[in-house]
Amino acid sequence: MSPTTWAWICLALPLAGCLFNAFVGRHLPGERTAGWIGTLAIGLSFVAAVGAFIALMGHSPDDRTFTSTAWDYADSVGVNAKLTILIDPLSVYMMLVVSGVSALIHLYSCVYVWKDRGFVRYFAYLNFFVFSMLLLVMAGNFVPLIIGWAFVGAASYMLISFWFRRTTATRAGIKAFVINVIGDVGLVLGTYFIVFRGSGSLDFLDTFKHVQAAFPPNDGDLVAGCILLLVGAFAKSAQVPLHTWLPDAMEGPTPVSALIHAATMVTAGVYLIARMHPLFEDATAAADVGTVVGCATLVIAATIALSQTDIKRVIAYSTMSQIGYMIMAVSASAYAAGMFHLFTHAFFKALLFMAAGSIIGAMGGEQSLDKMGGFRRALPFTFACFLAGGLALSAFPLFSGYFSKDDILALIGGEGGWHWILYVLGYLGAFVTALYTFRMIFRAFLGPECKEARELRETGHIAHHEHPFNPETYEEEDTDVGFPGPGHYIAEQQWPMKVAMSTLAIGAIFGGLIQVPFVDDLVNVYLRPDFVNDPTYEKVINDPSNGLLIFGLILSAVIAIGGIGLAYVIWVRRPSIAVAFRERFRPLYELSFHKWWFDELNDAVFVRPGATVGRWASNVFERVVIDGLVNGTVSVVRAGSSVVRGAQDGFLRVYAALLLLGLALVALWFLLQST
Amino acid sequence: MALSFLLWAPLFFALVGALLGRRMAPKVALFGSAVTLGMAIYYIADFDTGKAGLQHVTDTVWIAALGIHYKLGVDGLNLFLLTLTTLLWCVATLYAYFRQWDRPQLFFFFMGLAESAVLGAFLSQDLALFVAFFDLMLVPFYFLIGTWGGRKRVQATTKLVIYTLVGSLLMLAAAIATGVESVGNSGQISFALSDLVRVGLPVGTQEWIFLLFAAAFLVKMPAFPVHGWLPDGYRAMPIPVVAVFSAVLSKVAAYGFIRIVLPLFPQAAVHFQELLLLIALASILYGSIMAFTQTDLRLIVGFSSIAQLGFITLGIFALNPQGTQGALLQMVNHGLVTAALFFIIAVLAARVGGSEDVRDMGGLAFRAPVLAALFLIVALATLAMPGSSNFMGEFYILLGVFESKLVIACVAFTGVVLASVYMLRAYIGAMHNRVGAKAQSRELSLRDGVVVAPLVLVIVAIAVYPQLLLKRQQASAQAAVAQTALLTHQLALPRATAQTAPVLPQGGQTP
Repeated sequence: MSPTTWAWICLALPLAGCLFNAFVGRHLPGERTAGWIGTLAIGLSFVAAVGAFIALMGHSPDDRTFTSTAWDYADSVGVNAKLTILIDPLSVYMMLVVSGVSALIHLYSCVYVWKDRGFVRYFAYLNFFVFSMLLLVMAGNFVPLIIGWAFVGAASYMLISFWFRRTTATRAGIKAFVINVIGDVGLVLGTYFIVFRGSGSLDFLDTFKHVQAAFPPNDGDLVAGCILLLVGAFAKSAQVPLHTWLPDAMEGPTPVSALIHAATMVTAGVYLIARMHPLFEDATAAADVGTVVGCATLVIAATIALSQTDIKRVIAYSTMSQIGYMIMAVSASAYAAGMFHLFTHAFFKALLFMAAGSIIGAMGGEQSLDKMGGFRRALPFTFACFLAGGLALSAFPLFSGYFSKDDILALIGGEGGWHWILYVLGYLGAFVTALYTFRMIFRAFLGPECKEARELRETGHIAHHEHPFNPETYEEEDTDVGFPGPGHYIAEQQWPMKVAMSTLAIGAIFGGLIQVPFVDDLVNVYLRPDFVNDPTYEKVINDPSNGLLIFGLILSAVIAIGGIGLAYVIWVRRPSIAVAFRERFRPLYELSFHKWWFDELNDAVFVRPGATVGRWASNVFERVVIDGLVNGTVSVVRAGSSVVRGAQDGFLRVYAALLLLGLALVALWFLLQST
Repeated sequence: MALSFLLWAPLFFALVGALLGRRMAPKVALFGSAVTLGMAIYYIADFDTGKAGLQHVTDTVWIAALGIHYKLGVDGLNLFLLTLTTLLWCVATLYAYFRQWDRPQLFFFFMGLAESAVLGAFLSQDLALFVAFFDLMLVPFYFLIGTWGGRKRVQATTKLVIYTLVGSLLMLAAAIATGVESVGNSGQISFALSDLVRVGLPVGTQEWIFLLFAAAFLVKMPAFPVHGWLPDGYRAMPIPVVAVFSAVLSKVAAYGFIRIVLPLFPQAAVHFQELLLLIALASILYGSIMAFTQTDLRLIVGFSSIAQLGFITLGIFALNPQGTQGALLQMVNHGLVTAALFFIIAVLAARVGGSEDVRDMGGLAFRAPVLAALFLIVALATLAMPGSSNFMGEFYILLGVFESKLVIACVAFTGVVLASVYMLRAYIGAMHNRVGAKAQSRELSLRDGVVVAPLVLVIVAIAVYPQLLLKRQQASAQAAVAQTALLTHQLALPRATAQTAPVLPQGGQTP
């Protein structure tokens, strides 16, 4: 079968799973059937992605671009919006990552939300999410890209406010949705600039072919278009300043966080820049914006993660930071390096969230690091997985993140010039990453055992609070509202969770081996056909001098070990240091703890002025001006004809009379005109 | 099949129903609206896609002395508006069928009369005939609101009468002026649009007639700042009436711009393009801001309609084929989602003891997954999420404006973001969060389901294949704006040359 046939199957299966669960899921026999069906759909979708990969590799490297059009979606007056998919090494790469990691997350979810009353709804949403993301990465035309883009946003909204009776969850959902709509607007407006001021076709391949003829390098329209595309990428990939939805998105069930952070959603921005590389090559000014914003995000997010106490939020900020590395890489033409980090990150981030879900289960829904401790012996499997993920995230030597992060930074350094600043900041970020990752691990797993850990170790009982509460506000709730619900689980006792986490752990540990400096070069070679016409790609791939690579590998190792060591000293050996530091450098701590006050800034600049204008419009303007205009007339009419009041047929009579009067006036006017 | 059958069928069945008595009237009306819908669908099937001109033309002289024709025809501009009208009337009649009404014969008679009048306005190919139907369609609505309306119905009706009367008179004057001024050399007066379009009126005449028409249509839509009748009017109307009123009557005005104003007064349209675009922009922003401060669900939908009609006006006055295609598509989309929203509001109100205030609701999704899913689909379509047909409508509209007036398009995009705020706020307020004190979460009943579900199905179907509409509208849309597009191009030419002229020597100096 041709790669496109496989791709259509890969796309259709999650949609079929979603529709099946939505319509008949509630009536299926067996408690968890809907979950198994959802998992099966994504698993088969992964198989189809592998099929597409094999079919693609059967063609020679110069001939690995395929398109297929389902139907003309909205094709008229020069707007050729067609449902076209574009299958080439880059999209197949994304299909594999998306469907593969998602399948494991589905498997994990079969246990995790088992007792929730929204079990079927959950799997319908989850399948829809994967469908949307696959549509996004397969799109070969701007319109299906935008559709997939927005569907991902809508799916994330539905899953973030999955426990919709929690006001914190619905507020987080609307925030995510609105920020994503801002991104959609950027994407649409960017499309207008690029397509309707230049290439003239919504088709990707046509656009790429004509972009150089249509625009001179760094042409104003092209740069504007590319920056608007970046707005879309920043909103979806949670880059500064459009990132504030991501930490709040932790309101969703933990596997959803894994899905949003690892396989789908936040990687979309990275993919978009890589996909649009022929445009960014010609709009270097826009690409530089991406590089700088990515770097700023990686530093800011890393500093925030240092002081957060909610275990999921620490991981969330780490995602933001890691996506910052990827955005920086693809914006600086290091496409393969960025995509490589995307691949390894998908493994270790999904793994970290799953392990966090296991701890949260053991804590009975509690998410605060302040209340955890000593889970090392109660949750040995979870601990091992968390450690594997944490080491990969910290770029510990030979773990997957080590090779991919180093690849990015060596290429950034190789660019020279002002990129050296980014290079230094990148390593600084890596150091902070190791620090906050192990702060989290040490506080949750080492130290004195908390009572939940002791109970679990001694009796095998998972903690269950008598009164369920919202982990965000500690408000009391009834059991049906959200996690932990009537029952909750840990990886140690459930095989599907164990299988999912073990598979990811293998990826987190060994995933980096597909591209080890001086050994193999699989990602570069595989993605080369996508970027073969790209002068910078060849330069970037061949350029990082051996010296820089080796220096980077050593530096990375030192930084990771140093960071972990420092974390050990601060949070295990001498916990008083952390308190002393907090007191001594109050402003720095406040900056980090309050997340650089981005939420407050948004509130002051957009939300409150908006609300004030709205109140003024409805209380003053509408009442005085708009209503006043008519109420004056109304009272005149009312005074003149008491007939109107009460008697229905009065209206017609008045109407007829006025109509005649008007006619007479018009006639009179024409008479006067003619004389 | 002659279009007269389609036009008069609703009135005929309404009359028959009224004569047969109170028990038969709802049944006959329902049957009649279904038959009308069937005929409208037949016209889609029988439509010749490639043709720009009128099809199925009926043309007889009505009042010879005044040159008024009884001329009806279908083309890409009104084809889907006919379907929309008949579909919504069918659904609204179904909704009314399940409920008790005071004097049902009269209620269903007025509903039928209103449908015929609206269809007449869409089908008329004669200016005088259009004006006659335009005025006629308001009469049954005065009675429907005045007699069967809710609270403050007298005040609401009075306001509506005043506003629409002013609009109607302005339009009447404008129509007569158009006919009289177009007599010209031939000495033969005619109101047929095909005759009027051949006469090129002097620019000055075009301009004042244009303003009269624009005022009439903007009131009807309504646009900011002449929307004063809307809040009271929407709150007073019974649900099936407000559904068809907001969904279809506003479209008659927008349709009037495309059918009459642009072809007949192209120079004036170009001259006042910026004014109309600014009014549209103000409607978008004001409607959106008002929509997110309201708590009454009907008003949220009402003000969101002002914003949506702002988008439609924006598309029309982009004066190019893209904008017109978008406006035409969006008219159908907006009609579908607004009607669906009003029916959903009725369902929600029934669950909180009759209140339509979002503050009394909350948590209604808890035991009603089907209701929640249908409402979510409609809400997402209303905020024009990509993947809905509303998105393609806005995509074409904003593209049209982007190509003619870049800055206005950029500002209009804020309306897209605001739409997501007010629509989700309404959805979450009603369906999510804690269950309200008076609220009872109950699943959609079958008799509400048969009203809402078909609309949602059509919304989803068009979302999957908007090309169904775009393909059939294309030729007519291009023809409708052919002249204005040409004119704006001509007007733009001197500016472009003026710009390039000084640039060239500068470029020559640098090396």
